[in-house]
Amino acid sequence: MEINEVFKPSKVEEAIKLLDHYQETSKIIAGGTDLIISLREGKESASVIIDISSIKELKEITKREDWIEIGAGVTFTKVVNATMLQEKYKGLIDAAASVGSPQIRNAATVGGNICNASPAADFIPPLLALEAVLVIAGSNGIREIKLNDFITDKGKVALSKNELLVKVKFKELKRNQGLGFNKLGLRKALAISRICTSVYLEISEDSKCRDMRIANGSLGRHGLREKVVENYFKGKPLTSETIEIGSQLLEEEVNNRLQGRSSAEFKREAVKGVFTVALNKAIENSRL
Amino acid sequence: MKKRGIGYASTFYGTGYGNGFPDISRAIAELGTDGNIYIYVGATEVGQGAKTILSQIAAEALGVDFSSIVFICEDTSITPDAGTAAASRQTYNTGNAIKLASEKLRNEIINILEKRYGISTENIEDYLLQVAKLNGDEALRMDGIFTASTTEMDAETGQGNPYYPYTFSVYGIEVEVDTTTGIVEVTKAVCGQDVGRAINPKLIEGQIDGGFSMGLGYGIMEDINLQSGRIKHDRFTSYLIPTALDMPDIDKIIIEEPEATGPYGAKGIGEPVLVAVAPAILNAIYNAVGVRMKEIPVTPERLLKALKVKERGV
Repeated sequence: MEINEVFKPSKVEEAIKLLDHYQETSKIIAGGTDLIISLREGKESASVIIDISSIKELKEITKREDWIEIGAGVTFTKVVNATMLQEKYKGLIDAAASVGSPQIRNAATVGGNICNASPAADFIPPLLALEAVLVIAGSNGIREIKLNDFITDKGKVALSKNELLVKVKFKELKRNQGLGFNKLGLRKALAISRICTSVYLEISEDSKCRDMRIANGSLGRHGLREKVVENYFKGKPLTSETIEIGSQLLEEEVNNRLQGRSSAEFKREAVKGVFTVALNKAIENSRL
Repeated sequence: MKKRGIGYASTFYGTGYGNGFPDISRAIAELGTDGNIYIYVGATEVGQGAKTILSQIAAEALGVDFSSIVFICEDTSITPDAGTAAASRQTYNTGNAIKLASEKLRNEIINILEKRYGISTENIEDYLLQVAKLNGDEALRMDGIFTASTTEMDAETGQGNPYYPYTFSVYGIEVEVDTTTGIVEVTKAVCGQDVGRAINPKLIEGQIDGGFSMGLGYGIMEDINLQSGRIKHDRFTSYLIPTALDMPDIDKIIIEEPEATGPYGAKGIGEPVLVAVAPAILNAIYNAVGVRMKEIPVTPERLLKALKVKERGV
């Protein structure tokens, strides 16, 4: 299919109208770091391209009541440099900084990373750990959906053809809460993650784990939570013993999930090291 | 846990095609009618700096400023064959051919100055335009041919002169191995490189950086992933080479021990700077975690497996 038309709306409503009109024949482009490649390789096709990179309202990071909202068109470079996210949201910044290279981070967007739903998407695990909620605009208005429910399979999301992801939001982190991120890539830049793990942690007054949410990437058909391990940690002190036991539980989970895959032997072993570092970062960040 | 280790490896490398294969470089040095020196040579610049150092050699041999050299290469319709930019041979072989051609041209210019003008001088630079105008539209040209010394091995006796000259190199490399993930990080490196004579030290440092990155990729990253005869890693998203962030700082020690047959003592270092990198990394891994890896690349997957085997005491 040849590309016949490219539209560059400047408002969300305009984009929705275009999507509503062209439906399946159209594709949304933001940074283009995934779409351009798959168009060139013939993996996807579209006769109409709707370029949302000029929609200003998609490019803001804002604090609203006790929520942080990141526009779908915000680039990873912007996330890395966002004053609002420094220190406390180190886990989120680490994830954004680990995406591709400076050139890719300048173009690629948070919304693109989410909607592309790659199993190796670096930004999805920290958002899952933060229990992020997506705000989606359509011709019938605005709806909200949990990120966890939005991603339905590898590369598949619960987004209709006439809908647009507008922003992703999550609850502000408090003093005793922290987010950690760690990624195993085969080199220091331009590395697709072999494993990436993000840990959200809430520590109680008596230094125990009050709540924990663990999300992994590249360990399943899409980014996902590790509920068994999370439940083990709840109410327990974070000692080297409990972390060791938790890591072993994670190994079992990963082993069961990846059974039959050639990467299982490596990943079930390596995930323990990757998780331990992410957890320690979460502990550290919860003190900020 | 992260464990550090240090490893060394050294190598000696024979320059040129070798084993009796004809290894000839040709060059032409010309005094153009505009008073500039034109060097015509088939040597190919592939980023290694051939244009720069071959121009330096011409300037040195002629006794003129670098800026009066016009270097013309990579055009087979007007340049003589100087062989391939391979086998680390251009500095030594083509450098020699250019030096010969340039020396002949210089001698001819000195002769002309004596015979025609009665000037006996070593400083030809000031008279280039004057000499150039003598022949009208005809430029003064001299050629230089250099043939490398190599003989085929005698199959009966095993004797022969496969290569000449040899270049020597040693690497010391420090790694940090994450024993929980199998990730190897090269944290520091030192390279001692015999160069004969450093025609251009900056370019040698550049060659060391380039060779090191290739050796680093060869040692721990670059995997074609051959499965049933098919290359699975058939593009650079899967066939990983090092990025700038993967490179450590390299302490470079340039060792000058002039080679009598080289142009101003220089030898080729293109490949020599690469050869010892991967073995030094593997030795450093052994030093760090006590595992002797015998297959490259040492990916985290392979190393973690080997560490597990060692742990179980198999």
